[in-house]
Amino acid sequence: MSMKKEKLLVAAAVSMCIAPFAGAQTVTADGYTNFIRQVQLPFEPDRIIRDVYVTASGNQLSPLAINPNGAQFELHTVRATPLTSYLLDTKYVGSYVPIATVAIRSEDPYTQIPRTRADRPFHVDITVTGLLSGASDPEASKRVELLRHTQSYGTGDGTAVNRTQATLLSQSFLTTNGPRTLTYALSSIPGANRAKIRGEERFSVFSVADYQAPASQLASMFVQVWPVADGSISGITSGQTIRFSAPTLTLAINDIYPDSQVYAQVYAGAQVLGTTGIILPGSALIIRETIPQNRLLTVSNWDHTMSGDGTWTVELLTSTPFGVDRLAWVSYNVDRTITVNGTVTTIE
Amino acid sequence: MKIPPVIILAALAVFPLLPAQQEEGKPVFRDAATHDSLVPILREATASDPMKDLEKSEGEDPSKENRPQNLIESSDLISFQGVTTLVPKRAIMMVPENFKDRINNHTPGNRVVGWLDFYAMNMGWITTVEISRGQAGGNEPLSEGLSEQLAKSKNMVVTVMESGPISSMPYRGDEDKKKEVETK
Repeated sequence: MSMKKEKLLVAAAVSMCIAPFAGAQTVTADGYTNFIRQVQLPFEPDRIIRDVYVTASGNQLSPLAINPNGAQFELHTVRATPLTSYLLDTKYVGSYVPIATVAIRSEDPYTQIPRTRADRPFHVDITVTGLLSGASDPEASKRVELLRHTQSYGTGDGTAVNRTQATLLSQSFLTTNGPRTLTYALSSIPGANRAKIRGEERFSVFSVADYQAPASQLASMFVQVWPVADGSISGITSGQTIRFSAPTLTLAINDIYPDSQVYAQVYAGAQVLGTTGIILPGSALIIRETIPQNRLLTVSNWDHTMSGDGTWTVELLTSTPFGVDRLAWVSYNVDRTITVNGTVTTIE
Repeated sequence: MKIPPVIILAALAVFPLLPAQQEEGKPVFRDAATHDSLVPILREATASDPMKDLEKSEGEDPSKENRPQNLIESSDLISFQGVTTLVPKRAIMMVPENFKDRINNHTPGNRVVGWLDFYAMNMGWITTVEISRGQAGGNEPLSEGLSEQLAKSKNMVVTVMESGPISSMPYRGDEDKKKEVETK
């Protein structure tokens, strides 16, 4: 590969790194400063690291030759207080290394981080270009490796997770150019209760190591997986008869999906999933968070929602990007008819 | 038969036109999934893992190698007058005694800026030295006279390549090179 083409590659790589972000080595509106670091490979013995300066929409030719072993470009962002750095993206550039992209789709339209729920599917879109197939082509140009890692957050929210501890679940070679989609009905993040797993799955494409360069990450993306919510209604029991005022209800909801609504409703009759009822006052919540939430609500003075005697049902529901989930329900009876049994007698 | 406009308007009032999306996007109601309901689905999903259709690879997890270093841990921090920047470790070639408290002494609350912005504000006490790739890797010595010039400098010295701060290894010397040739 000529030096000119090689430099173009580097410029392309740097531009790709920056595009989604505010700029390299520039302070962003929210107080973060981005840095691009170029690491020459192999790292040993020369240990060459150089910081690259590129404006938000610019690009730059690498003054360091990429041949023969390639270089890794890392996009970091730094928060001043407390001083913390985050690795946002990496791109490996080499003479004959293929290019790969990984994107993850779920039913949640949230754009910041791909995310889904423990019971919902997701799709992984992978595109590889630049693979060669000639007999004399280097091994690293003929195939790339796809890795699937899973990592549980335990009971946490992932902010302090050590990603070096992720578990490699499977690995395969990709030997043909073009797009492909992998569909997963559920996440495989470890956890004893499958409805309550929380963590992330990461799909990465790596180049294959050869005599010139070690295996290097070409593309990577992860999806966050949050638990299914659960809830309970207390203060009323199944089959209970309400004769006077409605009892005070306590609604306990756990692991509410980060983008969702929660409400309790009442309708006449026995429970039927999908019935639309009257929303209990004080039971409606709108959640717009980045991690699951827990809430404890108290509902009182809801007599007016019941217009007659008979069987009634109160339900606790959550509406999410995946649909409406019923978390709990209780059917009970209302009997407010006053019956007076009397006799009329006369005395002579 | 022609329908009178009044009837059409009345019908629209009673049965308002719903957007197609709303009809199609009618929410799905379900009871919240439980562990028991998910176990058989996971079993099936595991059995039909789409990666099983690809050529299997084995061996070490490549993501364990060449993992990018933490930026802050792999940098030297230069701070002055409420501003901090980062340069790769070994990019600071020389620090006079009176400037040592400006290195790796970030004060909480300092603004973090890129190298070029910081250097523009601090040219009075920072000098840059352009080096080659060979010099950065310790395979070539610094140019004649530069070492003496650096020894006399009262400024802090940072190695750069085309304005970007770059790490530099000490020159390994001819003896080391001879050893490398011999071992090859």
